[in-house]
Amino acid sequence: MALERELKTYQRELANLLQHEGRFVLVHGSEVAGVFDTYDDAIRAGYDKYGLDPFLVKRVEAIEQIQSFTRPLDPCRT
Amino acid sequence: MPHLTLPITSGGPVLDLLVGVSRPRADALRRAGSPIPQPVSIRGLIDTGASCTCIDPASLRSLGLSPTGRVPIHTPSTNETPLDCEQYDVSLVLLHPKMQLALGSLGVIASNLEFHGIQALFGRDVLGRCLFVYDSSAQVFALAF
Repeated sequence: MALERELKTYQRELANLLQHEGRFVLVHGSEVAGVFDTYDDAIRAGYDKYGLDPFLVKRVEAIEQIQSFTRPLDPCRT
Repeated sequence: MPHLTLPITSGGPVLDLLVGVSRPRADALRRAGSPIPQPVSIRGLIDTGASCTCIDPASLRSLGLSPTGRVPIHTPSTNETPLDCEQYDVSLVLLHPKMQLALGSLGVIASNLEFHGIQALFGRDVLGRCLFVYDSSAQVFALAF
C-alpha cells in the first residue's frame, strides 16, 4: 500500500505527537512537517509544501479510532 | 437556517452531488500546470451507520487521486480485525436550485458500491456538518445547514 514510509514515521513519532492528541499531523517521508487543528488545514499545508508528492495526514490518537460501517463493504483502491 | 427537503426514495434518503479533487489539490494541480479533472456526478445514500463517507472507485478514478491517509475500518465482514483502507481527499458539492453546499476537503475511502445501485455512502462525517431530519410519515428527509 502507499504511504508505508510516512506511516512508519507516524508510529515512530507517536509518543512525541500525543501532546497534540486530536489534532492532525502532516508527514512527508521520514519528516513530521507540522500539526494542525483541522483536517482541512493539514491537507492544505501538505499540497502547499509538497505539491503532488505523496504525504500523509492523520489524526493524532493514542488509540486509533476505527471507522465503522453497518453494511458489508468491499474497500479497494481507486 | 437554510434547509433542503427531499423525498425518501425506495432506496432511502439519497442525494445527488458532485465529487471532485479537493480545493487544495486543485490549487496544487494549477500550480503544476496540470489539468484539473472535472467533478463527477454521484448519487449517494445518507447512511447513519457509516462513520465516514465512502465512494465507488469508478467515480474516483477519473479524478487521478493519490491517497493522503489510511484508516482502519470495521464492517460486518471484517469480524474482529479491522481492515486498513487508503483515504483520499476530495471535495463534495451539493447542487440544488435552492442552495449550494460545498465541502472543500473531506477524507473518504473507496469501496465498490455499484451493486447497491449507488455511488456513495454519505456518513456521519458529512452529517456532522448539518441537521438531518428523517420524516418517515411524510416520506421526506431534510438537511439544514
